[in-house]
Amino acid sequence: MLLYIIRRLISVALTFFVVSVIIFLMMHSIPGGPFDGNDMPVSEAVRAKLMARLGLDQPLHVQYLNYMWGVLHFDFGVPYQSPGESVIQLLSRAWVPSLVLGGLGVILGAPLGILLGMAAALNRNSIIDYFASTFATLGLTIPVFVISMLLILVFAVWLDWLPASGWGSPDRWILPIAAYAAIPIATYARYTRSAMLDCLNRPFVTVLRAKGLSENRIIFQHVLRNAAIPMVTVFLPMFIGTATGSIFVETMFRVPGLGAYFVSSIEARDYPLEMALVLMVTLMFCLAYFLADIAYAWLNPRIRVGGDH
Amino acid sequence: MTVPALELRNVSKDYLIKAGGGLIPSYRRHAAVAGVSLTIARNSIVGLVGESGSGKTTTGMMALRLVKPTSGRILVNGVDISQLDHKGLKPVRRQMQVVFQDSYSALDPMMTLAQIVAEPLDIHGVGSPREQTDEALSWLERVGLDRSYGGRYPHELSGGQRQRVAIARALILKPTVLIADEPTSALDVSVKAQIINLLQDLQEEMDLSILFISHDLSVVRSLTDRVVVMYRGQVVEEAETEAIFSDARHPYTRALLDAIPAANPRDRRVRRFLSVEEIEAATPRLARSELPEAAEPSQTPQLVSIGPGHRVAAIVTP
Amino acid sequence: MNLVDISGLTVTFSQYEGQVQAVRGVNLHVAEGESVGIVGESGSGKSVTCMAVMRLLREPQARIAADRLELAGTDVLAADRRTLASLRGRAAAMIFQDPMTAFDPVFTIGHQIIETIRAHRRVSKPEARAEAADLLRRVEIKNAETVLGYYPHQLSGGMLQRAMIAMALSCRPKILFADEPTTALDVTIQAQILQLIKELQAEFGMGLVMVTHDLGVVAETVDRVVVMYGGKIMEQGPVEAIFDDPKHPYTRALLASMPGQIGGRRRLTEIKGASPNPANPPSGCPFHPRCSLADAGCARAMPAFDVLTPGREAACWRLQ
Repeated sequence: MLLYIIRRLISVALTFFVVSVIIFLMMHSIPGGPFDGNDMPVSEAVRAKLMARLGLDQPLHVQYLNYMWGVLHFDFGVPYQSPGESVIQLLSRAWVPSLVLGGLGVILGAPLGILLGMAAALNRNSIIDYFASTFATLGLTIPVFVISMLLILVFAVWLDWLPASGWGSPDRWILPIAAYAAIPIATYARYTRSAMLDCLNRPFVTVLRAKGLSENRIIFQHVLRNAAIPMVTVFLPMFIGTATGSIFVETMFRVPGLGAYFVSSIEARDYPLEMALVLMVTLMFCLAYFLADIAYAWLNPRIRVGGDH
Repeated sequence: MTVPALELRNVSKDYLIKAGGGLIPSYRRHAAVAGVSLTIARNSIVGLVGESGSGKTTTGMMALRLVKPTSGRILVNGVDISQLDHKGLKPVRRQMQVVFQDSYSALDPMMTLAQIVAEPLDIHGVGSPREQTDEALSWLERVGLDRSYGGRYPHELSGGQRQRVAIARALILKPTVLIADEPTSALDVSVKAQIINLLQDLQEEMDLSILFISHDLSVVRSLTDRVVVMYRGQVVEEAETEAIFSDARHPYTRALLDAIPAANPRDRRVRRFLSVEEIEAATPRLARSELPEAAEPSQTPQLVSIGPGHRVAAIVTP
Repeated sequence: MNLVDISGLTVTFSQYEGQVQAVRGVNLHVAEGESVGIVGESGSGKSVTCMAVMRLLREPQARIAADRLELAGTDVLAADRRTLASLRGRAAAMIFQDPMTAFDPVFTIGHQIIETIRAHRRVSKPEARAEAADLLRRVEIKNAETVLGYYPHQLSGGMLQRAMIAMALSCRPKILFADEPTTALDVTIQAQILQLIKELQAEFGMGLVMVTHDLGVVAETVDRVVVMYGGKIMEQGPVEAIFDDPKHPYTRALLASMPGQIGGRRRLTEIKGASPNPANPPSGCPFHPRCSLADAGCARAMPAFDVLTPGREAACWRLQ
């Protein structure tokens, strides 16, 4: 098991490296640069000087190595948009709203989705099942920004119960959290339902019934444990996947979080900020897959114990 | 002597098996099939029997060159096909066809039966599309299905009917060799006899040679001319079918025969089962002088001839 | 008292194609210590009959109706979940066709046997563990203590089926249902498992219902045979009588089509046609479309059972 973990860690590190190279290259191969925009007209000489100071005139591989060397020292450079602070400072400021809203959305949404999926699987073809399936399909097909707009329209404009946007007082959090939660509820409900149904149809469940175990024991000890195996592999990366939803939610609700900076850094060719954000998301994905692999191995004796007959 | 339809000469297949789970996993070779030789004479049915893991299916797949042997030679109608590449194999594929146990997964669910049966003609560019369909429909009839089945799909058929379709598709190119891997194992009792009879009839009508891979010795007894018994990747005995049933010499062959359920409740008996070690310990020891054909003495079992067409794995003593 | 007491059992499945009657009016009785073989092909209703009396079918997709459906003296149609759970595994146990999928893959063999014991009896974990090891030894598993700690994927099919039998016997059931217990196994392992089941049946004095498509398995293991076709019973009687002197044309055809009875390569006696489609069964006697003796009357109605001798019955118009 320990060797397994080490092997996974090595592969995570490799993945991270490859992804960082690809992103670096892609970002720099997009036509245009930070000083090409109309809103920052500079002369050729000034531009060359600026490029030289930022190291943008050097060959790409040198730029990459310089950058990664800095990253290893937690130096992500200075955002071009806000030169008064470092990328780290900017990120640690922008983290908070994203983490609070996104985190709460997922923490509230995931268990709700799982419970909904379980209820649907255990009461197959009942009202609960139809409701859950409809809800999941809607949640997955309606884009987040439409959900956000609907929430604003209903609860802020028509009913006037809650403020429509901003950051600060907790009552402003409710609508973005609801928007964030919609995707986890829908996806988790769907996956839980199909994972549970898949397990309930397996022959060993009939054997467990034939042994005279109570239905509760069968569901909560055996079926859930087996259903958890495919679920962890999907759920952990999905957790991170909600991060991409932040772009829309934070734009709609005008929250000054990471999502908002994501959009503006791409527009402004703000390489240091952009790179830091993408690397952060990549790292979170890598870690999520790593944890998912470990959880999968831990839950699955075929990997944990090995020794196939 | 005429050239055999199919001949395997000292064919082996090794697989790499994970042995160590360190940072860099280590592998060891496992011989799924180790030095198997067998011959299928023209117009005959040879049964290949053995338990799961004996290497009988791998042997069949190597004969078809669906699995590349690690060593050894495969001859189809006297032509060595063991080293041919994909392109070189194409004409050989016309000569040699296969029917599997699970015909449901072997038939494309999106194709009609006429299309399924005609497909080999299309692949090998035989005839116009119209001729191909005509031929396919007449083959459906030949395997006992009405021509009207041509427009149906695999899921509309029973297991026995699907196996008939699989046989029609395998035989439409008029191959000389058919490899049948457990084709009757998944079938209902009342249908099993139908498929066995169909195979017998077609074999006679088409001068076909069949390698019939099966673990069901009762079926093998009714269908085959010769039997080859495999055990742990090697041939341990081969003989004419009745000689196997009346005069088996290898302990594993005897164990297999002893395991056949009684055909009548009055023949019930308490059996004694041999362990792997007991089977190995009971390997026949034959004195060189008693053998009809010359053989070198050896410490490990070798296949020796003990009578007309009857060979057994034995230790030859000086 | 009969361990299994079934009269007039019908089982109907609701499917896309409509209502499918898998079992149509089956009567079955198994006395204490008796061994009964139910022989039939796929779709004959043999497994569904056993699953129905264990109430293991998924309801309400499966609708069970019967004049009487009793297991060890308990009316299972009227029984609630708790009563059913206390019957299953304790009074009546069941083993299945594919041992590779019959165990929960994430728990050890030991855990699964122990949980069975402790679901029905108040014994401590160490006691249950000791019992589980004894059971494994009884089904001829060497190094039983080690095997208790194994996960299902670490054992071969034959070993798993032994462990499954050990688990089924852990509460000393009065009756054991064995649903094609050897079909997925190698020939030599099949013979070993059948012999083991026979021995244990005698030793524990249990009733046995052996469900199989294989007449050889029946010839080896049971006292009485029930032949099913198209959801109905065609013939039943003592095993010797059925093999020596089959009365029903289906039984006769089935016995005649067994391969390998006579030496030499030969054509077999075959039964023409295919098994009936349960969604659209033939009228009258379900076997009439394939029967060489059938006449117009056979398509009209299902014949009643003729009692030939006590315990020997066949349902065929052409018997008279």
